[in-house]
Amino acid sequence: MGYRIGVDIGGTFTDFCVFDEASFALHTLKVLSRPDAPGAEVLLGLDEIERRFGIAPQEVSYFTHGSTVGVNSIIQGTGARLCLFVTEGFRDVLELARLKIPDPYDLFSRRPPPLVPRDRVIPLRERMNADGKAEIVPSEDAIVAALAQAEAAGAEGIVLAFLHSYTNPAHERLVKEAINRLRPELPVFCSADVWPIVREYERTITACIHGSVQPRVSHYIGRLEAALRERGVSAAPMITKSNGGVMTASAGKERSIEMLLSGTAAGVIGAGFVAERAGFPRVMSLDIGGTSADVALLRDGMPDFRSGELVGRYPIYLPTVSVSSIGAGGGSVASVDTLGVLRVGPESAGSTPGPACYGRGGQRATITDAFAVKGVLGAAELGYGAVNVDRARALAVIEPLAQGLARSPAATAEAVIDLAVANMYREVSRLFSQVGEEPSGYALLAFGGAGPMMGCLLAEAMGMETVIVPETPGVLAALGGLLADLRSDFVRVTFLDVDAATMPAIGQALAGLVSEARDWLHGSQSRGGQGYDGEATLTISGDMRYRGQSYEIETPIAESWITAKNDKAIIEAFHARHAEIYGHADEKAEVQLVALRVVIAGKTPKPSFPDRPVTPVEVAPEGSVTVTHRGSEIEAGLFQRRTLKPGSRFNGPAVIIQDDTTTWAPPGFSGAVDGYGNLILSKERTPWRPTP
Amino acid sequence: MAAHTMTSEIKPALDPVTLQILKSHFEAAAESMAYTLLRTAHSAFVKETEDFTSGLTTPCGQTFASPKDLGATWFIGLDYKGAIDAITDYRPGDICITNDPYSGYVCTHAPDVHLWMPIFEGETLVCFAVGHIHNTDMGGAVPASLSRALTEVQQEGIRIPPMKLVEAGVMNEQVLAIMLRNVRMPDQNWGDLKAQIASLKTGERKIRDAIARFGVETVCAATYGVLDLADRQARRLFASMQDGDYVFTDYIDEDSPGGVPCRLKLTVRVSGDEAVFDFTGSDPQLQSALNMPTGGLPRHILPLVGYNYVVYSLDPTVALNAGLLRPVRCILPEGSVVNPVYPAATGMRSLTCSRIQGIVVGAFSLALPDRLPAGPAGGGGILNVRTTDSRTGRLAMASINPITGGGGGWAKEDGQDGSNSFLKNTPIEITEAEVPIRVVSYELVPDSGGAGRYRGGLATQMTFKMFSPNSVVTARNRDRVRFSCWGLEGGEPGATCTFLRNPGTEREESLGNTDVVRCAPGDILMISAAGAGGWGDPFTRPVAEVMDDVAQGKVSDQGARSYGVVAVDGKLDEAATQALRTGPGERPSGLVFDPQRLAFEKIWSNEAWDHLSTRLFALPIEWRFFLKHEIFALVNADTAAEADPVAAIERAYASLLQLYPQIAPRALGEAA
Repeated sequence: MGYRIGVDIGGTFTDFCVFDEASFALHTLKVLSRPDAPGAEVLLGLDEIERRFGIAPQEVSYFTHGSTVGVNSIIQGTGARLCLFVTEGFRDVLELARLKIPDPYDLFSRRPPPLVPRDRVIPLRERMNADGKAEIVPSEDAIVAALAQAEAAGAEGIVLAFLHSYTNPAHERLVKEAINRLRPELPVFCSADVWPIVREYERTITACIHGSVQPRVSHYIGRLEAALRERGVSAAPMITKSNGGVMTASAGKERSIEMLLSGTAAGVIGAGFVAERAGFPRVMSLDIGGTSADVALLRDGMPDFRSGELVGRYPIYLPTVSVSSIGAGGGSVASVDTLGVLRVGPESAGSTPGPACYGRGGQRATITDAFAVKGVLGAAELGYGAVNVDRARALAVIEPLAQGLARSPAATAEAVIDLAVANMYREVSRLFSQVGEEPSGYALLAFGGAGPMMGCLLAEAMGMETVIVPETPGVLAALGGLLADLRSDFVRVTFLDVDAATMPAIGQALAGLVSEARDWLHGSQSRGGQGYDGEATLTISGDMRYRGQSYEIETPIAESWITAKNDKAIIEAFHARHAEIYGHADEKAEVQLVALRVVIAGKTPKPSFPDRPVTPVEVAPEGSVTVTHRGSEIEAGLFQRRTLKPGSRFNGPAVIIQDDTTTWAPPGFSGAVDGYGNLILSKERTPWRPTP
Repeated sequence: MAAHTMTSEIKPALDPVTLQILKSHFEAAAESMAYTLLRTAHSAFVKETEDFTSGLTTPCGQTFASPKDLGATWFIGLDYKGAIDAITDYRPGDICITNDPYSGYVCTHAPDVHLWMPIFEGETLVCFAVGHIHNTDMGGAVPASLSRALTEVQQEGIRIPPMKLVEAGVMNEQVLAIMLRNVRMPDQNWGDLKAQIASLKTGERKIRDAIARFGVETVCAATYGVLDLADRQARRLFASMQDGDYVFTDYIDEDSPGGVPCRLKLTVRVSGDEAVFDFTGSDPQLQSALNMPTGGLPRHILPLVGYNYVVYSLDPTVALNAGLLRPVRCILPEGSVVNPVYPAATGMRSLTCSRIQGIVVGAFSLALPDRLPAGPAGGGGILNVRTTDSRTGRLAMASINPITGGGGGWAKEDGQDGSNSFLKNTPIEITEAEVPIRVVSYELVPDSGGAGRYRGGLATQMTFKMFSPNSVVTARNRDRVRFSCWGLEGGEPGATCTFLRNPGTEREESLGNTDVVRCAPGDILMISAAGAGGWGDPFTRPVAEVMDDVAQGKVSDQGARSYGVVAVDGKLDEAATQALRTGPGERPSGLVFDPQRLAFEKIWSNEAWDHLSTRLFALPIEWRFFLKHEIFALVNADTAAEADPVAAIERAYASLLQLYPQIAPRALGEAA
């Protein structure tokens, strides 16, 4: 028995979730992040945990950790100085990317500058053909010359990304061996090792991002490990991943690319856990922070996965928990232009200077200020570590807007909020139409600092009837990390028609992938494995398409279909998947398997949160606050979240305050707490009732 | 039962905040329509090139909502009135269709199948959900229905005049059967039609949600309110411009396969917060498929695409809808390339349309040289290949890449290298895995961007090898082999482009603007786009920036001289640079054209061509294109032409009148 700790380092705050394996108690903590000294906040948090909860580092039995060190080095351009070796004739693979400019209506729209500038992209005379046969083998002289050029350019690392290396990486390996021999200290990254997908830009940019962040991330993890050891934490730290899983610290040092988007991913994993336990099979998670709102769809607790998610302005193509980021957060700035048009965002006051009402120097009206003027925020003093809201400052920045719109400050505040919700409505509508689903079947799970404040408003706009606010809405990513399984993805490009003749080759590809995956999970930690001896879960899928299509659909495949050489079953599964996503299938067309994928997962021990006894009881508010709603002043009940027990029920309008967030339940919503401490807000038409 | 009452265009003003909120809801509806279409459509045109639209129009056809980042970027503000008015009686559950470029000028070439569906609330017609898909094939003379060489719209596929495809919820199976019988890939057309119908229904659902939430009165008022908003936003731009005439001319290299140049001329007359776009002086309609059908409608979208780009680029907060077009009126002479009359072919109007986008930006840049970019690249074309696998004999067809060039430099920044549009490329690895060709290189072309204080964007070039006999490479929309774009404020024009077979060998052959090439095994094709124009005197570009371009390989040692920089083996020669930069000679300023164009204009000057235009437009439409070619042949053979081009044109014209007395001789001025 001991304590499990999950840590999520964000831009402003570092969140801690501490789970007591003996008492099942869950403690949470927030400390300010230290971008200037990454890792310092972790140690500070451990001190604070010991001081406040009396938990010594020696008692920590499991430790997970997500960090923004990698993302920040891409956004700030402080990654390693790389040289990129490419196939002669294809020097502009990064520069041209996929050609399309971000905003085609805008004559001034630009693609991001290439991650490795053209003068550090070095063409090498070599050529591998699409069928994996070597056309031109790189010569030692060519390698020596390219290396000399790279050194003259001050390379701190070299990325090798040659055409068709996904099918035969021999040339990348040969050049890597040569460089290792000539300059053993110089890090070299092969695109086929980082992520061996077909499509040269996608593979190359992924490899370059990895090469760029790996030295710094690896150094950081090493320091963290040492610091934790020094503090007496005996548990080896686990690193959260963009795919919603975790890996050992030593794997994190090698596979830094896999942790870049772990923060948002862990938040979604945490949300999925909460939603499933609360009994909601379809949930849209809404995590609103200072600058953006992150939205994900969850079915049966499982998120969607996608590749091509952005790290700063650059895409990476590893499977990542699919999260759509909307430029609307608590710090989004409102303004009125010369034609009297009100706008909210996408500009944000962020966390510094932040909303004016936080009194940290913010001078412009934000969504948070609008909620303060509306009366939802600043109703009561908050607890330890929380930001207190200065309504006078909020009013001072809303007033100029009110003049521009020729309406009262309260009406202006409502206008800012309504418009912010309308903007989110637009973005969330896109998300649902992309997947062809109707929002009405989904519940909304609101978290992050501003999610619970806006959740009901967005739910109303979307026609969703239920809003779930978890017990610890400020630290869901830290909780997600704590719950995440060991998980890793493997891919092999096959580019085969699916028929009887190709089944042996497909079988071979699968065998290779499975053995690679098992090595990762069960192999010893000293060899990059996870040293896991439990049972593995293997999920197999194919990137498939009709011949001639330019995109692939990931189709789940049963292992037995491949081992029994049942090509028909695979083809049928693809037709069905195509019909499910696009509404039609082409039974006559030839089906291709472009790539085979394996996901391996090993369950980590889960904290078991027992549900608490539910005693249905109508609770009275502790006080009341005056809130502006649709132009009139109404009295809303004021509740303290910590005094609401499982079974507590109340009717809106209500303001529910807790340390890290404020929940707004507009008129028409009622609230109830379930057996896990989740606050369930529902439209009165179909109130959610706790069952004892 | 007359099922609707037309809502009046005049509505009480809505409060601006409610308007903004509804604007978001309308955009959400249009975007949801687009995603539904993108997800459920069958053809590659939709999924790969996003050649489709979706949107919402008022009962009179004014588009008030379009998705911003999905689908073709050319049709913001497309006016559906011509199609809508062709049907007299709308009922709930109707869906109408047309793909006829000569019925209402909503559709602009036959592959674009447009659908529109009324959305009712009770008896009130609230709006129309609309949209189109570029179908892979609509039948006609050639696969894909598109070829520059076609001369009549009948050759470009089956045409469906405006009619009900679905009447009160019941599919008109006869129309469907006729259409599907006449196209080459009926399954795709049918699949795409179903996707379009699903998209319209998504739009209807979203509008119903808005009506339920805000009320039908408010929703109707907002549809007009967002148009008014865009109108006011656009007028703000004109009010900030100096009144006056801004004249801009550009040429398409060939007006037909192997033809003579096609002139496009525009005068933008700004007056107060409005402007007239006068296309008088543009060529007569062509005996090729480059004609742009507009019906002479004063706010037809095709001549105004560039205007939308300008307004949006200068003020990204504008509402992208038909209201932006209200301060503008076009003059599009009948029987011209910008307003052809039936039955002129229109399939390849996209080349003309994109060239016109350029001259609109060009005309505005004369008024706002510090706020708009120099000439865009272009001319590369879209490459397709049809070949066979030499081992299996299997036929392979694929779109292998758009060949693109960059954007123009402007007062604060170099142009984007390599591309400046929504087009995406095809990965080399995908092309090589699917089609038995070998790509030798695909890179930027050094020195192809016009020199300037801010350099024009570089062009791309692709070189590839064919392996089997009878392989066919098509390069649609090739241009800019002869004339390149322009530099601004003393910047230089971008480089022209090339298309070579077997470059650097004894068998080298220049293919120019050829759009269909038959290849033999072993043939190597090298194709490039043009570069974009530079902005500002190149000698004022800081030497460090020039040397950075040299280090990056974007400018060669030789190319650096255009910037007054002397580099030897990539190293700066400071003294020589100093001498070159301070040397004698006038520095360029203003608009700068390329030498080929200047040479061409020694005879075909603005005055000469205006004269030619007047002569041609006095003739019956059938004669104009023919006589233009005859006059060109005579004038180009006339050794005295350069001394007095107008006189040479008159000499040619007189001799042709003798040859063709059936053209009634009429004096100038009597033409009408």
